[in-house]
Amino acid sequence: MVILMENKIEILDNQEIQASINEAVEEKEENIIEVNNVSMEFFLPNEKVDNLKEFFIRLVKGKMEKKKHKVLDDISFSVRKGESIGLIGHNGAGKSTLLKILTGIMRPTEGSVMVKGKVAPLLNLGAGFDNEASAKENVYLNGAILGYSKREIEHKYKEIVDFAELHDYMNMPLKNFSSGMVARLGFAIAIDVNPDILLVDEILSVGDENFRKKCAAKINELRDRGVTFVIVSHNMSQIKNLCQKAVWIEDSHMRAYGDSKEVCDKYIEYCNSLKKH
Amino acid sequence: MENKEKAPIYKEPFKERVIKKLCDAKKNANITRELVKKNIKIQYRNSVIGIFWTVLNPFLNMLVMFFVFGSILGYSDSDPTYALYLLCGNIIFNMMRGATSQSLTSLVQNRGLLTKNKISYYVFPLSNNISALVNFLFSCIALLGVMVFVHFSTFGELQGSVFSLNILLAILMLPALFLFNYGISMILATLYVFFRDIQHFYSVFLTLWTYLTPIFYRTEKLERWMEFILQLNPMYHFVQYFRNAIYYVSSTGDFLSASNNPSFGGDLLILYLIGLAFFAVGVLVYNLTKRKYIFYI
Repeated sequence: MVILMENKIEILDNQEIQASINEAVEEKEENIIEVNNVSMEFFLPNEKVDNLKEFFIRLVKGKMEKKKHKVLDDISFSVRKGESIGLIGHNGAGKSTLLKILTGIMRPTEGSVMVKGKVAPLLNLGAGFDNEASAKENVYLNGAILGYSKREIEHKYKEIVDFAELHDYMNMPLKNFSSGMVARLGFAIAIDVNPDILLVDEILSVGDENFRKKCAAKINELRDRGVTFVIVSHNMSQIKNLCQKAVWIEDSHMRAYGDSKEVCDKYIEYCNSLKKH
Repeated sequence: MENKEKAPIYKEPFKERVIKKLCDAKKNANITRELVKKNIKIQYRNSVIGIFWTVLNPFLNMLVMFFVFGSILGYSDSDPTYALYLLCGNIIFNMMRGATSQSLTSLVQNRGLLTKNKISYYVFPLSNNISALVNFLFSCIALLGVMVFVHFSTFGELQGSVFSLNILLAILMLPALFLFNYGISMILATLYVFFRDIQHFYSVFLTLWTYLTPIFYRTEKLERWMEFILQLNPMYHFVQYFRNAIYYVSSTGDFLSASNNPSFGGDLLILYLIGLAFFAVGVLVYNLTKRKYIFYI
């Protein structure tokens, strides 16, 4: 009897292991973003040597040893297809750096990143704009940077202008635009990309009330279409609304990772406890 | 978080990687085209005659130099072709100057784009070089005008005509000059990211470089050791080749066809060797720094 029981347990164990292996394999296949033990080191800004005099002085003094600052330390998470993830934490915690690594702008010092599909970075609206060029030229340039051919941009041009509601201003140099108008144009271009993954850095609240509603509607539309969002935001309700998962990064370490509601609540709790002191 | 094994590095299959490379190349070509368009449009925006400045500018510059060096300092030696001599040297040197000095700051200037998007940074020096080439082609209109002027003013004085098929030989050198400029541009743009002093150094160096290049003086009048030093300057070869291809006056006072000159093939080879060498160094610098520059920009 005892032997039978033991056997049964063993069989159960085996089945469980098999199931978990299957799950892991499936997960591996479905994951659209995988971040494995990523660490990132920077030189501290004041330690940077960017002129020759400094360089030679340091060389002579033998002070070229590098003081490094860890911006990200051992971050791991994964996102499945159709899921979205929010990155939360205080300013300077390393969230934007993580987005830059996901975009491929920076390479992590350690660890690996796997991103499948077309990625559209929305890291800063209008960051790539040239103030001297007209809005139209900027649309074409930005479109090219996002990976469109000339014909595709021509095709999308009207849609972009319609969305930004800037019909009368397209031939004006961008320096004459208000910051709200610039943000609207930037959002209209970026959102029209049809990406698999959209990396968003605190930009979901641009323009006036009307435009904001339009943006929210567009984002919901994209979400329903199955676009994966990676969002950096300080707006917890937004993260809870859009994302299934969240990562809380504090002082370059991963403090919490999991269900977005739980992580956000933990973060809010932590923030409140800080305020009391 | 206990298991701290090394995560396997994700590598795409070969075919996907090739497709990705091709897509990147196409994307970069698109970006470069839009940047060139923008550069050229912005250059003369809000000016009344717009793009015609590209033609007028080298011409007016030539007139100033003609007045200073030709009339006041007497370099022209009452030579009817001196205007052409000046212009040939000037537009070649200005193409190099324009391309390199604009590229120098291009990475830092486009910091906003580079830190927020995944772009290969070489598109910025490349677009500046193409813009400089386009500007050069426009200034060739001014060159053509001066050639017409020289053609009529030397009529009867010199045998033959300044117009001949040699102009084709001048076109042959342009790819070599482009590679040379692009190589220098890449080196300077990258250096500037790491050492901001380069900008000040280079502006002084350009002045020196202008004087070390036979733009307004004749090399035949220099002593041998001086000419030897000048020959270490790559721009010496580009300027001399271009000028000799556009027009060549023999000691007997004839316009000579450059194709009669047996050393042209060898000269061209030297230009291409120089161009390729600098281009190779530029590519090397790019590959050495493409992962690091983002932290310094």
